[in-house]
Amino acid sequence: MEAPVLGRSALSGRIPVSIVTGFLGSGKTTLVNKLLKRPDMNRVAVIVNELGEQAIDNDLVEVSSEQMMLLNNGCLCCVLRGDLQETLRDLFVKRRNGEIIDFDRVVIETTGLADPAPVMQTLMTDTMLQAQYRLDCVVTLVDAVNGLEQIKTLSEPVKQAALADRLVITKTDLSDEPKISAVEAALRQLNQRAPIRRAVNGEIELAFLIDVALRSTQSRLEDVERWMGADNEHDHGHYGHDEHGHAHRHDTTVTSFCLRYKEPFTWASFSQCMEVLATLRGPDLFRVKGLVNVTGHKGPLIVQGVQHLFHPPIELEKWPSENHETRIVFITRGISEQMVSNLFTAIASVAARAA
Amino acid sequence: MSEAKSMSPQSQAAQTLAFNMKLLAQHEMEGFGGMGEGINMQVAKDGRRIIWMAHESAPKNFTALDVSDPRKPKFVIQTDLPHGNVRSNSLDVVGNTMVVAYQTKGFDNKPAGIDIFDITVPEKPKLISHFDASGKFSRGVHAVWFDDGEFVHMASGAPDFEPTNDKDDQFYRIIDVRNPSKPVEAGRWWMPGTRKGDKAAPPPRLKIDGGYRAHNTNVYSKQRPDRAYVGYIDGGGFILDIKDKSNIKVVSRWKNAPPFNGFVHTVMPLFSKNLLIVTEECVRDNCIDWPKLTWVLNAEDETNPVPISTVPLPSPESFGKRGGRFGSHNLWENYSADCAWRSDNIILATFFNGGLRAYDLSNPYQPQEVAYFVPGTPRLSPKGAVQINDVYVDDRGVVYCQDRFTGGLYIVEWTQ
Repeated sequence: MEAPVLGRSALSGRIPVSIVTGFLGSGKTTLVNKLLKRPDMNRVAVIVNELGEQAIDNDLVEVSSEQMMLLNNGCLCCVLRGDLQETLRDLFVKRRNGEIIDFDRVVIETTGLADPAPVMQTLMTDTMLQAQYRLDCVVTLVDAVNGLEQIKTLSEPVKQAALADRLVITKTDLSDEPKISAVEAALRQLNQRAPIRRAVNGEIELAFLIDVALRSTQSRLEDVERWMGADNEHDHGHYGHDEHGHAHRHDTTVTSFCLRYKEPFTWASFSQCMEVLATLRGPDLFRVKGLVNVTGHKGPLIVQGVQHLFHPPIELEKWPSENHETRIVFITRGISEQMVSNLFTAIASVAARAA
Repeated sequence: MSEAKSMSPQSQAAQTLAFNMKLLAQHEMEGFGGMGEGINMQVAKDGRRIIWMAHESAPKNFTALDVSDPRKPKFVIQTDLPHGNVRSNSLDVVGNTMVVAYQTKGFDNKPAGIDIFDITVPEKPKLISHFDASGKFSRGVHAVWFDDGEFVHMASGAPDFEPTNDKDDQFYRIIDVRNPSKPVEAGRWWMPGTRKGDKAAPPPRLKIDGGYRAHNTNVYSKQRPDRAYVGYIDGGGFILDIKDKSNIKVVSRWKNAPPFNGFVHTVMPLFSKNLLIVTEECVRDNCIDWPKLTWVLNAEDETNPVPISTVPLPSPESFGKRGGRFGSHNLWENYSADCAWRSDNIILATFFNGGLRAYDLSNPYQPQEVAYFVPGTPRLSPKGAVQINDVYVDDRGVVYCQDRFTGGLYIVEWTQ
């Protein structure tokens, strides 16, 4: 028997982070405050913007500092003061020192206007945070009453929805079925792959907000599919302001597509493609998630990027199925499948000649 | 909102802390969960994995558990010591032979030495022989190292050894057990100046006087049968040339006390990396003897080991007053048996109330902490916090660590 390689897994050895985002009034605080009280929040650290008195009332067990409260259900509630980077660093240090519970995951409530991309990027760029945490899931809340209008007229809600791994339609109790369906349809066009859930009174189960990204380098096919979203050959969709006759800015069409390649890449040519894309169109490259077949590697490389930033690739121990195709999901603004595909073809052909 | 208050140290020690590791099972050893620093595994003839553990102190001698299923450890046997003034503390296993150390509370008492057992039938350990190391100035044996089935390397007193200071009674002895029913001494070495009659002057005492004597005496017979890596408490760490067991020579000595507080416990080589890992045991509660570190030394030139880093520990402010000791102690020593796991890249170490911690030495100048497991205070613990004492890692990657007082054995796995 071969001795197991012990050490820290690039995936399971990091604390998963879920980001809850959504436009102003989308019900984030209500949802998070209700979430705080759920029994399944044991060993979860939640970073909130503010804490309503009614959110904790008698549930408080102890206060370890002005900003941190341990609730009865074992949930650590942490009020964000200053910046998120510092808060996440501080949480990890306190956890290691045993000054707070040794939480197993973090849920972050972003501010209403927040673009989730920088929050996601923080987890990739801060060396300490990158070493200790991993992005699990982005959950975007969309209000069933005002959401549709916001998506049509504003760019932030569009980006929030496009970046999401999970979508939650809130305030469905204050809306009607045709309106909710319209919001759902709009979201589906913006983001074909993220599951959509309707929430009533801000009630949502923790399970919908977690365990989306790959947890282990021994991930199975269903884990990969869950992370990359519904795997549909024809899931090519787009949604943009142009098509709906709103302001004619430059091409703001939000598109998602999945590119597939049977031939393995060399790491040089694959990373070159990504670098060109990130350099020239970083702001429009909302999200990239992929399983890449790279020559010389036993398992696929997990690639993930948010705009111009990419996480260092992580190799899975083996392919999760017989299918060893590279598949990369892109969510972009104004970058078509054709453009990306042409770029890959061009670089691959140049690289082939070099070889 | 209620006014800010801090958590009490008690509540902190009570909670389990884990990172990249999770508990599979705990076994309290039938109420005698105070474990020493002898833990080793046997794969019995019927395939069962038996873990053998020496108790920290009387009344129990050693306990064996069947850990074939690490989630369900099964009690196999527990033995008693002949009286309350002796402790076993240390043992080692090679195949179906087990060596157990005996150290008495004062000089001139018995049993003080080692027992050699045939453990072919784990339920019925059969005593093959006893090697007597008792004497007028001897407490017997504190720690044993046995990995080749032929020689026992140990920290021991002897009937003919009179130390210059009572604390310097145990030195390095090699016992030939090739005929296990007739163990005989094959060699010995002590730090010059520690034996009456030595030409060298007795060594100066440290402020916290731990003594100048041997603790762990590691010999990796597969890689370097001609070297012993010896922690000599306040004397520092020694590399000894034991090619000729009857004429042992010093290759090098690494000493950091003063200014540090001594009690060098283990010197472990990582051969492929030319490194030595050296631990200093914390021996005082409440961080009185802090810092007690785990050092990384460059040993490319074995005659001149040079410290290059220490492993990162949580702060003494957080752990120092939790109860009991906080600081370095034992290492997973890359034991050579087939059923043991080995690595020159990842080290595992125990830190009393700081629990069990694992470090990645890919960059030896900056060891990275990659996992830890700190059990909450064990039931009935007299110290108010766990005191993780020693660690074993089997070839399945299962990690075993023990509490010094009541918690018994914790079986842990890495998160995958």
